[in-house]
Amino acid sequence: MTKRTFRTLLMSAGLVGGIFAGSATAVLAADKTIKIGALFPMSGPGSYFGAQDKQGVELALEQLNKAGVNGFKFEVKYEDSACGPLPATQAVKRLLDQFKPDVVIGEECSDATLAVMPIMEQAKVPLLNAGSSAIKITDPGNPWTFRIMPNEVMQGVDIATKAYKQLNARTAVLLHENTNAGIGNANVFAETFTKLGGKILADIGFGRDVNDFTSIATRVASLGKIDVIPTYTLEGQGLKITQALAQAGVVKGGGGQAIQLGTIWLPFGFEQKAGKAAVGYIRIVQFDPTDQRDVVRKFIEAFKAKYNQDPTHLNAHAYDQVMLIADVVRRGAKDAQSIRVGLAATKNFSGVTGSVEFDKTNQNTKMDTIHYMETQPDLSWKAVK
Amino acid sequence: MLTVILQQGINGVVVGSLYVLVALGLTLIYGVLVQINFAHADIVTLGAFTAYFVTHLFSGNYFAGIAAALIVGAILGWLVNAVIFAPLRERANELLPLIATIGVSITLQNVMLVLLGPIPYAFDTPYSNNVIRFGGIFLTMQSVLIIMMSTIAIGLLYAFMKFTILGKALRAVSQDRETAALMGINPNQLIMLAFVIASALAGMSGAMLGPVLVLTPFAGTTVIVKAFAIVIIGGFGNVEGTIIAGLIVGLIESYTTQFLDPGLIDIVVFALLLLMLAVRPTGLIAEKREENV
Repeated sequence: MTKRTFRTLLMSAGLVGGIFAGSATAVLAADKTIKIGALFPMSGPGSYFGAQDKQGVELALEQLNKAGVNGFKFEVKYEDSACGPLPATQAVKRLLDQFKPDVVIGEECSDATLAVMPIMEQAKVPLLNAGSSAIKITDPGNPWTFRIMPNEVMQGVDIATKAYKQLNARTAVLLHENTNAGIGNANVFAETFTKLGGKILADIGFGRDVNDFTSIATRVASLGKIDVIPTYTLEGQGLKITQALAQAGVVKGGGGQAIQLGTIWLPFGFEQKAGKAAVGYIRIVQFDPTDQRDVVRKFIEAFKAKYNQDPTHLNAHAYDQVMLIADVVRRGAKDAQSIRVGLAATKNFSGVTGSVEFDKTNQNTKMDTIHYMETQPDLSWKAVK
Repeated sequence: MLTVILQQGINGVVVGSLYVLVALGLTLIYGVLVQINFAHADIVTLGAFTAYFVTHLFSGNYFAGIAAALIVGAILGWLVNAVIFAPLRERANELLPLIATIGVSITLQNVMLVLLGPIPYAFDTPYSNNVIRFGGIFLTMQSVLIIMMSTIAIGLLYAFMKFTILGKALRAVSQDRETAALMGINPNQLIMLAFVIASALAGMSGAMLGPVLVLTPFAGTTVIVKAFAIVIIGGFGNVEGTIIAGLIVGLIESYTTQFLDPGLIDIVVFALLLLMLAVRPTGLIAEKREENV
């Protein structure tokens, strides 16, 4: 063997070795990534959820990936689940087949979340939900699905009790979209309110394709004296309902007496869009921007710096979902199974929206994620304690 | 109770007028081309957004918004027909233009989604919250405007179709395209005219619907299904039938909301559609058309 041949062989061996070493590093790097599938509505009437969720997720990723967590980086793949069962199941199958996530966050709409749960269970990948309220999601419990937000029973009982005891409401009209979450929330309110001694004057459900709410407002106006109107809809229909109720002179914003009660479903900025019609509207929000906890102040500051706008509760709860996963990774989780175990063992995680601690059905038991706000004449909020 | 019945009657006429505006464009194109235009809904949406932005640009001048929406609709109708539908019709395949309308619809929706985002817009005109009240009845100035503008648009279209040479030529093409061509009428130019008028109407109806609809890039799709039902109930291609059917559907919606349940609106409307197809498949007023034998 000549010197030249030997040198060539040595270089080739070095090159091959280098390639293998590089591959090994690549594999190692790939192994040190927590893959998060994000199942958000990016199209259709609930697409404002997805747009705002994505902002929250991107901020969390930016912060986490600067230094990583326990040597792990985080990677997110978004799929449009369109707030509906069929697109959601198709989207989650794409995520599981192509992206192979360690954990999935989303959906926002209960019907979509309920549809993907069996698929997640079969794939043995945990689903961390923040926005769906239907009781069926955590009752009787599914080992692979976790929910941060208070469910419809927790919210419904709380809001009905507040209406009866604090607002002295004795009559109510229920307005809701005809979905699992809409019907479920309305039923819980009705049950609690009636038990306390209140009376439900009408239970009015409607499809998501209804645009003009003047006829519904006319019917509500014909029902006599109404104290509260719990309303369960997405933002677009919510806006139209509030304006129609004001035009019909039913709610405070239109010179009437009734108080509209709203949910976590509505985004921030709703009042500014609805205008004076929203005056007197009391609703639950999942994130209190006046909260003085350090985690909240830092989140608001970082969000404003990145997006030059104030964060909403949707931004906040999407941020919390990723931060909770990071917390679980910090506690040693590294794959789907260990993330599931880590989530179940979560104790007093302090997020931007509030604290998190799951019960045996994987439902967050903490109620400090619920904040009541009343819209003032200048359309600002006043906390209702 | 009489006040409520009267109020719901007014509500029904307002909604019905909006449906008529949307359905008229559909029925015009069907009358001339015997083709369903799935992109119609998205021209409605584009009209709504055009009116929204122009109204804001002109410091709340809603009429400038309506005019702009009408013009944008007309231009888009001309463009889509010239670039896509006309070349496809030359291939003598009826399916291609139909599929193309679906393609145009999805493209428009997604372009609007990219440009305008998914979050609902609040389109309040100076008339939206201006409420007139008399004897227990309430009506916004926006509703008055909707009825007025719809009546004017319907009247102008009716007069155009009945009393102008171009209108008569359009009717001739819709009844028998080949014979009309033998009489010296250029069917392609009239098809283009039908597209421009229908799209201008769609743009204008978008401007009227914008303050009523939940304004997102998918807004038009929520009314188009009802508009299709109205076209079928009224009699495919028949303007008078479409007007009557639109008002009937509007009234059904408001009285169903009052006396039954708003969740039953679609069941009642589409039960009427099925009944009409079973009992009178030609619709309320049958359009005269050549018999293909």
